[in-house]
Amino acid sequence: MKIKIIAFLLFSSIAFSQKFGVVSGGFESNSQWYLNDKGLKDEFNNPTTHPDQPLRSNSYLFLNYKYKKWSAGIQGESYEDNALLNMNPKYQGINVGTYFVQYKSNTIDVTGGYFYEQFGSGLLFRSWEDRALGINNALRGGRIVYKPTTYLTMKALCGNQRTGFDVTKSTIFGFDAEVTLSEILKYKETELSLGFSYLGRDEKTAIENPKFASLTNGYSGRLNLNNQSFYVSTEFDYKSKDAVVQVTDQIDNNLIKPGSALLLNSGYSKKRFGINGTFRRIENMSFFSERAAKGNSYNDRIMNFIPSLTKQQHYNLANIYVYQAQPNVILADKDLVKAGEIGGQIDVFYEVKKGTKFGGKNGMKIAANFSNWNALSGTFYLYNPQDYKTDFFGFGKRYFTDFNVEITKKWNAKWQSIFSYVNQYYNKKMIQETTGEVKSNILTAETTYRFASTRSIRVVGEHLWADHDKKNWVAATIEFNINSKISFYSTDLYNYGNDTDYLRNHYYSFGGSYRVKATRVALNYGRQRGGLVCVGGVCRYVPESSGLSMTISTSF
Amino acid sequence: MKKIAFLVLFFGLSAVAQKKLPDVSLFDLEGKKVSVKDDFLEKDKIYIFSFWATWCSPCINELDEMNDLQEEWKKSLNIEIVAVATDDSRTQKRVKPLVKGKDWNYKIILDTNQDLKRALSIANIPYTVVVKNGVIVHIQNGYVPGSEVELFEKLKSL
Repeated sequence: MKIKIIAFLLFSSIAFSQKFGVVSGGFESNSQWYLNDKGLKDEFNNPTTHPDQPLRSNSYLFLNYKYKKWSAGIQGESYEDNALLNMNPKYQGINVGTYFVQYKSNTIDVTGGYFYEQFGSGLLFRSWEDRALGINNALRGGRIVYKPTTYLTMKALCGNQRTGFDVTKSTIFGFDAEVTLSEILKYKETELSLGFSYLGRDEKTAIENPKFASLTNGYSGRLNLNNQSFYVSTEFDYKSKDAVVQVTDQIDNNLIKPGSALLLNSGYSKKRFGINGTFRRIENMSFFSERAAKGNSYNDRIMNFIPSLTKQQHYNLANIYVYQAQPNVILADKDLVKAGEIGGQIDVFYEVKKGTKFGGKNGMKIAANFSNWNALSGTFYLYNPQDYKTDFFGFGKRYFTDFNVEITKKWNAKWQSIFSYVNQYYNKKMIQETTGEVKSNILTAETTYRFASTRSIRVVGEHLWADHDKKNWVAATIEFNINSKISFYSTDLYNYGNDTDYLRNHYYSFGGSYRVKATRVALNYGRQRGGLVCVGGVCRYVPESSGLSMTISTSF
Repeated sequence: MKKIAFLVLFFGLSAVAQKKLPDVSLFDLEGKKVSVKDDFLEKDKIYIFSFWATWCSPCINELDEMNDLQEEWKKSLNIEIVAVATDDSRTQKRVKPLVKGKDWNYKIILDTNQDLKRALSIANIPYTVVVKNGVIVHIQNGYVPGSEVELFEKLKSL
């Protein structure tokens, strides 16, 4: 029935649009055929077996219709026979995912239906779509954006958050204002803006005699200053007292705490040089549209965006020990207490000038990054009743450190090489709440050789030395671009240093992609360890699996 | 059956074209507002919107190459390259030092919540959209070394 309604809407909109307005959209389908793999053992020496429904596909068809200041859109989604592994099981079958109607002029923008929005950095509120991760936390309701002058933008919104093909019972409402002060003060070379946000979540609880209010309030203030080569920005967020959820679905009526976040960022840049530093402190700042959802493994019902502020590595082995931001409260035992994180990162980019001794004829590019994250220090009470009190500028146990440097050298029009070194510390016990600490070093060398106009070969070699956990790895990738439309690749990651002999796995895969205009088709076979994978010039995040996969995407 | 219906709809729709840039406003690197619909309308000028991110190495290779070539291109064509950073707030603050450190001479716009990327139904980056007189006239999906030469040939034919 639903599909008939969609079809009717689509056909009528096409017929209509040929005379009035424009239809545009996109289609994307990610399919996997999971296979049994006797050679790929888990920690209990069991071979990998495919799930009950081995052929699975996530598909999205988005259509947008625009006529003068009006636009309307609909997204149909299909998860057949089921959603891909590691995706939210609430995504099942074929249905309408999102729809909206929007009126937009220069001063006012009104949306009804599903919409995406972000306040400031997103630490208080962000709704977005990430198909590779299975996130779509759009709000269903209404939003008004009002720009009475060029220096003032105000937003007001109200709605329920999407979860699977349904929405949550809680109500979300928010307000955001941003003023460009530099425009009012007529600064010529400086941009200065201030922002303020409010976000409320009203969720009734089934708990008897709750010690917390059904309405949780979030406030945020931010400042951005940009003076040519120098810039600084800051944001502070506060979430009112609410029940702490340490384990998903367990609302603790005896531990009622507020949350906060402080973000400070500054940088300086000039020709061929840029530096940026970020400091962030987060305490109990997870925010979900339903309290009990906190910590669920699908990012379902998530309302804010707390990214890990580390370098997003693009090599295979550098994506094995990936830090995840730690906004949550855990009072497990005296060695495992968390209430948030504190730390920062520094990035430096530098280009050695062409024609100098090191720069050579084509110059040389250097990028370095350092990040370090610790738990918050404070006093933690584990029993009767549980509680904690944190220090504002106190560093507790270390979670993660990453130092990395990358050098890109173009030798001539045909050859280019990239060398990188990464040194990491990963506290697995504190981050994953299991055991162990891992120190690792990763060396990577890659080179690209261009034969003819668009024919090239790229070879990457990687090695990871680790003192614990899965220990040493080696990896190699060969990518062959026949022309700008067709690419093939083959890659293998080998965990040769694993202490357990049956876990010394090869994660091999090979495949190809074909691209023409807005369309891309890719076919891969092999074992996927998970992480960011780039093939034929395209990058995406993929979860671990074994089997055959096909991806189709296009826009029109 | 359902899948066939999906496909029929999809191919029926792709026949309807002449797509324009969506009405999205974003910030540039200096914190100034940019209207994608209204600020790139110089008559007969070719705008090349290159979607990238600080963590996407093929994207960076493409922009490195085009940065070296654009002065040469501008001698024969009236073009402007706009690098759309799709970095979300995890990596957005790395955009400015990277751009300056690499001495890229592009207009940079920040698509922090991917409003523009989503409006154009872009699934993967790198992705290049060429616009002339407000209408999308060419799309290049992905990047391999040398793609920039093909792109330039295409630009000359527009």
